[in-house]
Amino acid sequence: MSASKLLIGCWLGLAALSTLTVLLGGSGSGLLLGAAILAAALGKAWLITEGFMELRHAPRLWRLLLLGWPLLLAGGVLALLPQLA
Amino acid sequence: MSTSAETLALPARRLPGDLAMWFFILAELTVFAILILTFAVMQRLDPRLFAESRAALDSSIGLALTLSLLTSGLLAALAVEAVRRQRQGRAALLLLAGLGSACLYVVLKLEEYGHLAGLGLDIEHNTFFTLYWILTGFHFLHVLLGMVILAWLAERCRRRAYDAGQHGGLESGVLYWHMVDLVWVVLFPLVYVLN
Repeated sequence: MSASKLLIGCWLGLAALSTLTVLLGGSGSGLLLGAAILAAALGKAWLITEGFMELRHAPRLWRLLLLGWPLLLAGGVLALLPQLA
Repeated sequence: MSTSAETLALPARRLPGDLAMWFFILAELTVFAILILTFAVMQRLDPRLFAESRAALDSSIGLALTLSLLTSGLLAALAVEAVRRQRQGRAALLLLAGLGSACLYVVLKLEEYGHLAGLGLDIEHNTFFTLYWILTGFHFLHVLLGMVILAWLAERCRRRAYDAGQHGGLESGVLYWHMVDLVWVVLFPLVYVLN
C-alpha cells in the first residue's frame, strides 16, 4: 500500500471513530458506554501517532511514550468517571 | 532521480523530524495532560453540574471541529509525502488546503465561543465552563500557532526550500500540527460527549 493510501485510510478510520463517538454519546450514559467512548479516543490517538506522525517507523521508546500519553489519560479519565464513585 | 517506490520506503527505526521537536511535543502533552486530568477530577467531584453544563454544548459542532482538524492533519501529512516525491508545488497546495480546513475549525470555534458568551456561559459561570474555556482556549491558541506554521511551510514549499532528501524542518512543523490533532481527539470526548 502506498504511503498516501495509508494516510487516507487513517483519515477514514479517524472520521468513522469520531462519528461513532458522537453516536455513542447520544445513546445514553453509563460506565460501559464511557469505556467505549474512551476506547474510540484511544484508537484515534493510535491512528494519529502511528499513521500521521509515522511513529510506526520510530524507535520503540518513542512509540511507547506517544502511545502511553493517551493510554494514561484514558485510564485516568475512566477511573475518575462518576459512575465509579 | 529516485523512483516513487524508493522515496516511499523509509529507513527502519527512524524518528521523523528534529529530536528537539519531539521533546517540545512531550512537554506540551504533559501540560495538556494536567489540564485534562484536572477536568476529570472536577467532574468526579460534581458530576451533575458537569452533565447539565455539557448539555449546553452541541456535540455535532464538536464533530465538525474534529473532522476539520483531522482533514487538515491528513492534508499536511500528504504534503510531506509530496515533498518526498519531489512535488513541492503540490505540497504547497496541500498545505494551503490544510490551512483552509483549519480556518473552518477557527470559524466554528469562534461561533461556538460567541454563542456561549451570548448565553452568559463565560469563564466565570461555573467550574465546568471555567475549565472548558481554559482547556479549549489553550488548545485554540495552539491551533492558531499551528496555522502560522502551516502557512510558513507552504511558502517554503512554494520556494522549493525542501526536497526529497532534506525536509526535516517540514516534518517537524507538520508534527506540531499532528500534536494539536492528538490533543483534540482526547479532549473532544471528555468535554463534549462523556456523560
